[in-house]
Amino acid sequence: MTIPKDYFDWAAKLFDPSRIHEKPEALAGIRVLDLSVIYFGPATGDFLGEMGAEVIKVEMPGQGDVTRILGNASFFWKNISVAFFCANHSKYHMGIDMHRPEGQALIRQLAARSDIVIENYKAGTLEEKFGLGYRQLREVNPRLIYVANTGFGQWGPFSKGRASYDGLAQAVSGLTAITGEGEAPTKIGNYLGDWFGASMSAVGALAALRWRARTGEGQFVEMAQCEGLVRAMDWTWLYAGLTGRDRQKVGNGDHVFTPSGVYRCADGYVAVVAGTDREFHGLCRMLGEPGLLRHERFATAAARRERASARAMDAKLAAFCGPRSRKQVEAAARKAGVAAAPVMTAKDHAESEHLRARRSVWEYEDPMYGTMVEYGPAPKLSATPARIKWAGKPVGFHNELVLKRILGLDDARIKALEAAGAIGRWTEGRRGAGPPEGWKGEGRLV
Amino acid sequence: MTREAAPRMPPHLGEQARPDGKWDEWIKAAEDPGGVADKPEALDDLLVLDLSHGHYGALLTATYLAELGAEVIKVEPPGGDPARRWGPAEASAGGDGLAFVAEARNRYHLTLDLTTREGRRLLKGLAARADVLIEGFAPGYLDGLGIGYRQLSALNPRVVYVACSAYGQFGPLAKNQPPEHDLTDQALSGLLHLTGNPDTAPVKVGSWISAYGQAAWGALGTLAALHWRERSGRGQMIDVTGAEALMRYLEYSVLLYHASGAIRGRTGLYELAVFPYTFVPVKDGWAFIAGYTDPNFRALCRVMGRPELGDDPRFNTTLQRTTLANEIQLRDEICAWSANYTSAEILDKVLADPGPGVIVFGPMNPPTRMLTEAHWWERGCLKRLSDPIYGELLLQMPAWRMTGTPPRLKWPCRPAGYHNSLILQKYFGIGPGRAAELAADGVL
Repeated sequence: MTIPKDYFDWAAKLFDPSRIHEKPEALAGIRVLDLSVIYFGPATGDFLGEMGAEVIKVEMPGQGDVTRILGNASFFWKNISVAFFCANHSKYHMGIDMHRPEGQALIRQLAARSDIVIENYKAGTLEEKFGLGYRQLREVNPRLIYVANTGFGQWGPFSKGRASYDGLAQAVSGLTAITGEGEAPTKIGNYLGDWFGASMSAVGALAALRWRARTGEGQFVEMAQCEGLVRAMDWTWLYAGLTGRDRQKVGNGDHVFTPSGVYRCADGYVAVVAGTDREFHGLCRMLGEPGLLRHERFATAAARRERASARAMDAKLAAFCGPRSRKQVEAAARKAGVAAAPVMTAKDHAESEHLRARRSVWEYEDPMYGTMVEYGPAPKLSATPARIKWAGKPVGFHNELVLKRILGLDDARIKALEAAGAIGRWTEGRRGAGPPEGWKGEGRLV
Repeated sequence: MTREAAPRMPPHLGEQARPDGKWDEWIKAAEDPGGVADKPEALDDLLVLDLSHGHYGALLTATYLAELGAEVIKVEPPGGDPARRWGPAEASAGGDGLAFVAEARNRYHLTLDLTTREGRRLLKGLAARADVLIEGFAPGYLDGLGIGYRQLSALNPRVVYVACSAYGQFGPLAKNQPPEHDLTDQALSGLLHLTGNPDTAPVKVGSWISAYGQAAWGALGTLAALHWRERSGRGQMIDVTGAEALMRYLEYSVLLYHASGAIRGRTGLYELAVFPYTFVPVKDGWAFIAGYTDPNFRALCRVMGRPELGDDPRFNTTLQRTTLANEIQLRDEICAWSANYTSAEILDKVLADPGPGVIVFGPMNPPTRMLTEAHWWERGCLKRLSDPIYGELLLQMPAWRMTGTPPRLKWPCRPAGYHNSLILQKYFGIGPGRAAELAADGVL
């Protein structure tokens, strides 16, 4: 396999991260009205925002989104939980009370000027309680794409009265039952159902946007987080259908690729897997046992999958990794053409030159929160790179800007809406909702 | 903000429209899985080339687009994609591995040997017309063959080219990178470090989740790029790694480190941010239960018949409930209660609670148990089909519901080269005679 000598120079120039902000944005001109809470919803809006959409996040005046106060004491920093920021980049923050008719009217007005609305309330809630469901908003904007994220979907036996979180989606989808080893469940350490579901619902939104560009027609798009995880279980269902059985839990092993495992090193853990014969051959070289590939226990992928062979290889890898550092194992594997990777921690991420160069770890300066270090957009687009512009802001921080800029309201009208309680900002002294201590108005836009 | 200030809204915006009939009935009819075939497809104007060879994330990226209506031509080497062998040892379908059969749907299967001059010529002929090309080779490999983005974008400036790899196309670790695997992606992403118990080795997610994430980002990037192409007339290259796909799903991990120096680690069945949010034993297995905001926690205490726990100073604020020592005591209290009931009994109690507050509860389903629940079948989340080539198949359906352009399964996997004559005839006017020569020359 020959890779042209200049390929990586060419690619580095094509994707040059120092030029990201000079380049156009893919979704510039698309307006998203984000009525959702926590992660499975706000993240959908965030992902569209990374691609250049203008996202208006609507929160309840006073306290706002619960992620502002999520977590134990160690999460609080600059008067807010660090949990808030990951789903709320570069948004315009509005505080609108959807319980009040004037607040509902404002949301209808904003929906009339938006391309996409996102919500993640229980099925039917926005229609029945607030008059802001799809059937109502499409009346004011027939081109509207309305994205609704839920646990179980908008209809069906489980959709009635049942709320959902990511953890529930892990449980009911079957994903927990195929993760880890033994009888006891292993809870996946992030809110996978929220995030995977949110990125999928953003895909649905953009497919609908393409259809609208072709026909002018809007539509309703729904994503259920349980169904998202069901979708992401590769051959689980095919296997159950053919055999009537559940696939076996194999921990860090793999039904297809052997060896596959996570091994303790001198300074942490490392994951090693060899899929093809070629990779296995490299592994044997790395272990200093090039003859293994000729041994009948290891000669073919099928033989390597046998329990005894897998165990023997596991022991060899454990012995190899044990005294070495993660870096040493990674370097040896790279040399041998084998996939071995350190189990990275947040500290590893923060210090990774590679991830920083790719802006997967994104450091930027925010007028209110100072230096921020966050995970950057996942896909790298050469001509219209996704980006972070600023950090999440207090509840209602952009009320005036949005109402003047988009709805053309004057000061008197805005004052009246405030007086009526239809719009509002953070409650002073309420943790997580307002700006950091000592804030002197930095970043204020109007 | 780029828009012109608009005139004042017409008065009807202030009024609440009153829809006829109940929402759930309306939306059920609007999304009726039985009516999908009668509706158009969002992406049926797109031609996508799937050049995934032994790369699940690239395969899935094309699958999502195929479900949404794109015409996807999967280009395989003459012996078939190596991923056709991927599956558990003890079962297969039509001789192919289950992992491949599960996801290689809705495609046209063409074989082309890209290491031959004629194979590359035909590939270029397709790429000249394609909207999207997706590949998962080592970075620069196709470039070396003269059919990478550099060369194809000269031929077709409108093409959106998605390259999937372990470390990406640029950055200090891009050169000489090892092949991409789900396990190593999970390791690099940091997700592995978060899953499992603090005192034992980390545990990976049981499915090849990094590939699903990589494909979600690949498809999202593609659709965003196509949107921009409508205005600019220009395509672009998209670089997606499975590790970064999952890393973006890790919430606050790196910001927490930046802000406090704390390194987020494994917490087993406990949680740093929200509690209760955990698995507990029930009479018939395990179940998930959560109620972490104050009103929701009080609801949980009420359903447990332990309203006093809501006022217990160890548990009466979110901050108290997310202190590890208290989490352990609180989970013990819940387990002592939950173990006396089946998951169905607890769900009945949860649903009967009048509020205020919401409890999130459900059983930990082994897949075969999930298959006994009517909800998923009614919604068409899974489908059994009897395929003339691959036999009886149970497949997960597309994840999205769309009232206007619902995604769909058209046909499952097909053998390598199954559509050779169709594609050659359709795109090159090549008939059976010439096709036979190409096959004899090893091009097909």
